[in-house]
Amino acid sequence: MTTLTSPPGGAAIRHPAPPATTGRTGTPRQGGTILAIPALVWYAVFMIGPVIAIFVIAALHWPGMLQPVSFAGLGNVRTVLDDPVFWDAVRNTAVQLAVALPIMIVCAYMLGYYVAQKPPGHRVIRYLLFIPGLISTPAKAMVFYAALSPDGLANGALQSVGLGSLTDAWLASPSTALACLIALDVWSGIGFTAVLFAARLDSVPDDLGEAAQLDGAGHWRTMWRIHFPVIRDYVGVVTMLQFLWTLFGSAQHVLLLTQGGPGSSSTTLSFLVYQKAFIAADLGYSQTVGVILFLAGLVGLLAIRRAFRQNY
Amino acid sequence: MKLGKRWLPAHILVWTYAVLLIVPLYYFLASAFKSNEEIFAHPFALPESFGFGNFRTAYDSADLGTAVVNSALVTVLALALTLLLALPAAFALARSTGRLASAMEQVFSLGFLIPTFAALFPTFLLAAATGLFHTRLFMVFFLPATAMPLSVVILVQFMRTIPREMEEAARMDGASTYTVLRHIYIPMCLPGIATVLLLNFLTFWNEYLYSLIIIGPDPEQRTVQVALPTLKAITGTDYGVLTAGTVLTLIPVWVVYTVLQKRMQQALINGAVKA
Repeated sequence: MTTLTSPPGGAAIRHPAPPATTGRTGTPRQGGTILAIPALVWYAVFMIGPVIAIFVIAALHWPGMLQPVSFAGLGNVRTVLDDPVFWDAVRNTAVQLAVALPIMIVCAYMLGYYVAQKPPGHRVIRYLLFIPGLISTPAKAMVFYAALSPDGLANGALQSVGLGSLTDAWLASPSTALACLIALDVWSGIGFTAVLFAARLDSVPDDLGEAAQLDGAGHWRTMWRIHFPVIRDYVGVVTMLQFLWTLFGSAQHVLLLTQGGPGSSSTTLSFLVYQKAFIAADLGYSQTVGVILFLAGLVGLLAIRRAFRQNY
Repeated sequence: MKLGKRWLPAHILVWTYAVLLIVPLYYFLASAFKSNEEIFAHPFALPESFGFGNFRTAYDSADLGTAVVNSALVTVLALALTLLLALPAAFALARSTGRLASAMEQVFSLGFLIPTFAALFPTFLLAAATGLFHTRLFMVFFLPATAMPLSVVILVQFMRTIPREMEEAARMDGASTYTVLRHIYIPMCLPGIATVLLLNFLTFWNEYLYSLIIIGPDPEQRTVQVALPTLKAITGTDYGVLTAGTVLTLIPVWVVYTVLQKRMQQALINGAVKA
């Protein structure tokens, strides 16, 4: 992205002879590209290499680190597709995305809009909203572990308001384990996303909202009909990010909080990749799911991009 | 803009969320000073005494001292390496107009699409192949690679705003490429460098899954984030110790955030939206 810092007229005065300028600096610029090589090599060795390796390993039959490796072709795909646990993981991941994404984006947009209007106390809110973005995954998981344990915060709160009958072992119950993971995503995701939206909304000219309100539009209308279309592209970008974070990032929360259980009730696709590689030691299977996850990410990105491009 | 009475529901909802953010953190902070009995009996009450017993136990039982040193070491070295690689690269890409340079820039930006997580197992193989498995050193090498796309893209954007005339004037005075980078680009990009440093500080300090697999459970090598969850197993269900340990790992980030609040927010915003 290039930014025009001076008007065309001013630039013309400062460069009386533009062709000479380009000619003079042409040589050192060419030589300079070499400086990008170390970064590129580093990046290729540690990032691109391993990503390509996922596809190779996915085509191998490799039942454990020290086991003989043989070529499996599409054999792993068949094994994976025949495994009911894989389909549980697909279902859990789908539920997770279908619930967490819309809640997160809609709430974060409204919250961001609220903060961008600078109501009383908006500085405090801004400070607070960032907190989940700063806390590491293990720390977040520990917060939820302590809050949702049988003697924890959630049950304590329920008991103190006389709803003791609703208490549960939240993380250990098949019906609530996945919901807890989704709650963790939403809890920590809304605040951070809201600040992103607030930052973008800050740069929308004030006149736009004021003009709409003079024309008799209420806040609700201004928020969704005026501001939303203006930053629609940005909402798309943030949705894509959250989609990727949710899709790929859930493994850590699952590992720390529920280990995918009870049964496979909270196994997500990304946790399955981890679990098959490092616990079950079925490496071909693991990386096949990795490839599927990769493709799901790609398809999802394209779909979200399309959804936010149309009607624009 | 006027905020009329009709904003009341909005105020209520927003502050409810704020409370939802604060309450678990308050509960956490308060529990760090309490015993289990105190936590169960009065989850929301202020602790009866502000002794540091839980912190001491957490610190000792999970070797948090070594872990903090390890984390700091990995974070600082990885940050230095990131800048060492990204600065020249961004410098080269920002000044070049050639097709090769724009292709390279494309390659870096495509990095955003790579799910680093999925490559966990191949990275593990790479660590084993290089003989650096179960060492902090591999993380020092690996983390900058993951930070490269973001760092290069942000730095290129900052460097593009530097007027060409600055460099041309220096060139006339006989400055070498290195001098131009060292004395013109780096000083003028300090805000960009700060953004990259803060952003990567957070990611590097908070990195969990890769550290868990690559560095492993050795208390001599492991980072804070790996040591922290072990408290759950070591202490059984002593929530006071568990929360105290967690609070300890949050302190560095919280201090940096409070001191550099504005800058940190800007960095996080810039970083998240990358393009």
